Amino acid sequence: MLEYSEPVTKLIDEFKRLPGIGQKTAQRLAFHVLRMTQEEVGRFVEAMEDVKRKIVMCTVCNNLTDVEPCRFCSSTSRDRSIICVVEEPYNLVAVEKTRSYNGLYHVLHGALSPIRGLGPEDLRLANLLPRLRPENNDGVEVREVILATNPNTEGEATASYVSRLLKPLGVRVTRIAMGMPVGSDLEYVDEVTMDKALANRHEI
Amino acid sequence: MLLESVEAHQFRNLSGEVFWGQGLNIIFGENGQGKTSWLEAIYLLATTKSFRTQRPQEAIRFGESLAVVRGRVTRSRDVHRDLQVTLQGNSKSLSLNGKSETVANYLSQLHVVSFTADELEVVRGGPDARRRFLDRGVVALHHSYVQTLADYQRVIKQKNRLLQDISNSGTSIDNARELIEPWNEQITLLGSIIHRARCDYVERLQPSLQRRLFEREDVTIRYMSTLEGKGDINDYESLLRERLGLRLQAELASGYALIGPHRDDLEILLDGRDMRAYGSSGQQRSALILLDLAAISVYHLWHNEYPLFLMDDVDAELDERRIGRLLEYLRGRTQTFVTTSKGDLIKEFANNAKVFDVGEGVAVDVLRNESEKTVFTSVKGI
Ligand SMILES: [Zn+2]
Repeated sequence: MLEYSEPVTKLIDEFKRLPGIGQKTAQRLAFHVLRMTQEEVGRFVEAMEDVKRKIVMCTVCNNLTDVEPCRFCSSTSRDRSIICVVEEPYNLVAVEKTRSYNGLYHVLHGALSPIRGLGPEDLRLANLLPRLRPENNDGVEVREVILATNPNTEGEATASYVSRLLKPLGVRVTRIAMGMPVGSDLEYVDEVTMDKALANRHEI
Repeated sequence: MLLESVEAHQFRNLSGEVFWGQGLNIIFGENGQGKTSWLEAIYLLATTKSFRTQRPQEAIRFGESLAVVRGRVTRSRDVHRDLQVTLQGNSKSLSLNGKSETVANYLSQLHVVSFTADELEVVRGGPDARRRFLDRGVVALHHSYVQTLADYQRVIKQKNRLLQDISNSGTSIDNARELIEPWNEQITLLGSIIHRARCDYVERLQPSLQRRLFEREDVTIRYMSTLEGKGDINDYESLLRERLGLRLQAELASGYALIGPHRDDLEILLDGRDMRAYGSSGQQRSALILLDLAAISVYHLWHNEYPLFLMDDVDAELDERRIGRLLEYLRGRTQTFVTTSKGDLIKEFANNAKVFDVGEGVAVDVLRNESEKTVFTSVKGI
């Protein structure tokens, strides 16, 4: 027999699918939903549906966006000669917060990790190399690619792999400086640290 | 460094708080009463690990969901640190002065050198026990080495999986090289740091091993890299990179990372002969004591303070003469914790010790009044 009625159990199960949510939290959230007004629930559902309907992946840089191409790729004030490669969209936000970077981005949506079954074919790499040609970049030649993957083993391996792809093309490839705590995730790196990491990037 | 007190909650059968002496602490009790558990609690507080089990969470009392071990450490007259390890489910959380702390920072607060049945693997077991002995010593000098080791182990794990995936999928050798190269690059980088750190540590241990505490036997050690004889070992980084390139095929065939410091060993020689093969059980124990004392000396030279020394079941490990020599040497140096189930040891050393009688998990300070005076006069330079 179910502990809760079927609709409640179903809702708890859905919450449990979310990252970082266990049984207890799922129950708490489900009972919170029961206490919400119909209107509040409607807004919540709409927000979720909206995000799925309106947010797409930019075909140029893979960033998540509601306009295509995204606001970075379509901006006329950004430096198109430099591309910063990050693992996830939230890493892009960390770089952007420093306010010291004004180039373009490329989001890989992951890092190499054989343990998790992630190889090069699972990364959004295919559209990176064509971007380096001026005819695909508003006539601007890309002179530098900054590899800003996480400073942990998976991020390092990914940076190393990508740099090997880019090197033969003659573009300057740099890696953000590891003044930041090793083994860390850029999501939690503060602006000052990220700013330094960018400023002290080095050739690889 | 001085461990003033330890408090245990739902950690095995322990209960209450114990205030330790500054010099020798003898933890006495019948088997099963909890004397080794108190030693384990101290070890956990210092290393976040257990010497009895791979998973320290196994020490959570049956039927309870978590265990807490708390301790107060004095670094100098006015600097006190409250350490706490909380074990729960599969997790372990560390706190320092009430705030949660990273492993590397936490580990710099309290250091122990220990002699347990498990530690004997260093002189009679496989190379991994000896690598761990060296790595523990390096971590005690450079706390950030914890992260280097963790990263290296993770890279090896990733590479092993990749090697197995590649052999299963029948990828071409060129393609395989392209996939493995990014991981080999990190093995080269991290492996070189590990190799240099271990060699340096062995060099620091060497002079302290000259001490003749027990017999006239001569214990010498040498770091043995698996790359020895394969090229110029002095340029380890280049040699490692070259060997990783050359041995790719063999690694693919075996499905495991074969090249790197995770395959190295420490050679321990007794009068020029391999300790593991030729040493008697008594000689092996003496050699381990000498290694531990050398580790204590290196730590002291580096930090200008002594680590704690722990020894489980001391009378089962050493004869009375060796125990005497050892405790005599440690007196005035380390804060020492030994467990025993024999009353003889107490009679012999009680004058310079605090003695705790452990029954049903509670440690009672039995000679409180008499011993305190003598402990204070005998301890110098902590
Ligand atoms: Zn874009």
